[in-house]
Amino acid sequence: MQQGGGSETEVTWEDQQNINKFGRLNNRFHELEDEIKIAKESNDNLEDAGNELILTDEEVVRFQIGEVFAHVPKEEVENRIEALKEVTCKNLEKLEEEKESILAQMAELKQILYGKFKDSINLEED
Amino acid sequence: MATSSSSSSSEAVTERRGIPGAQFVEDVQTYLTQTGFDVNSALAFLQERLQQYKLVEMKLQAQQRELQAKIPDIEKCLDVVATLQAKKGTGEALITDFEVSEGIYSRASIEDTDSVCLWLGANVMLEYSCEEATALLRRNLDNAKASLEVLLADLQFLRDQVTITQVTIARVYNWDVHQRRLRQASPSAKDS
Repeated sequence: MQQGGGSETEVTWEDQQNINKFGRLNNRFHELEDEIKIAKESNDNLEDAGNELILTDEEVVRFQIGEVFAHVPKEEVENRIEALKEVTCKNLEKLEEEKESILAQMAELKQILYGKFKDSINLEED
Repeated sequence: MATSSSSSSSEAVTERRGIPGAQFVEDVQTYLTQTGFDVNSALAFLQERLQQYKLVEMKLQAQQRELQAKIPDIEKCLDVVATLQAKKGTGEALITDFEVSEGIYSRASIEDTDSVCLWLGANVMLEYSCEEATALLRRNLDNAKASLEVLLADLQFLRDQVTITQVTIARVYNWDVHQRRLRQASPSAKDS
């Protein structure tokens, strides 16, 4: 946080709580970005797996369960992949929603804090 | 290191699970008079507190990473046990390829089984029935998730205390700059 030029703006407990909240939201925002990236990768992998499955003409596919590759009939693998894709998709949607909400809250807090402290506070990413 | 404060009401929690709470400063002048610190000692004290918080934060983050690795592991185990249970009724053996060593795989045929062995850590492995194994794994998963939640709350609390301390440092510093400016201004007024 940038140090101001010796201004005497008083910082109230409410201001402090707003600053704390902004910090927390910012942290959560970065965590979310990472989680969204992982979820997107996972989704892509499942897509690729599904496509490979269509191309293959083997009846039994080695499907990873835990640390081992179980021999599973193609149909069951298709179903499992579909189920996993749905779960990942829903998760991704939820994460994106949370991200939007956090961005909105951060924008609001920025307005309040810049309004009171103007140049004495810096809320941008360095 | 607990400084007694009466008038500056710290509405914050005083501490959480061994992490001292950062005292919110209503007014810098009052804070300095009460603690008896001069500006430099106050800044030194606050900086030291900040370092301590950073240390605790690193420790908690390491624990967080551990738990976040443990949870998917337990979920994978549950998956395997569920698969074995599903195969039970069919009378077919489950054929799997497993890793013997890095890059080398072998094939195993797992027949109908009522029990599995679980690795409990510390070189101990116990045999459980499938149901008991599932129950144990679920319990472990729930405990891990609960611990993670508490840990995340601790980290949030810690980050708040760090922010409060950083803001207090900035305010004490600014107050000092302001005081110096006032002192510089008054001698020139006397001369005129």
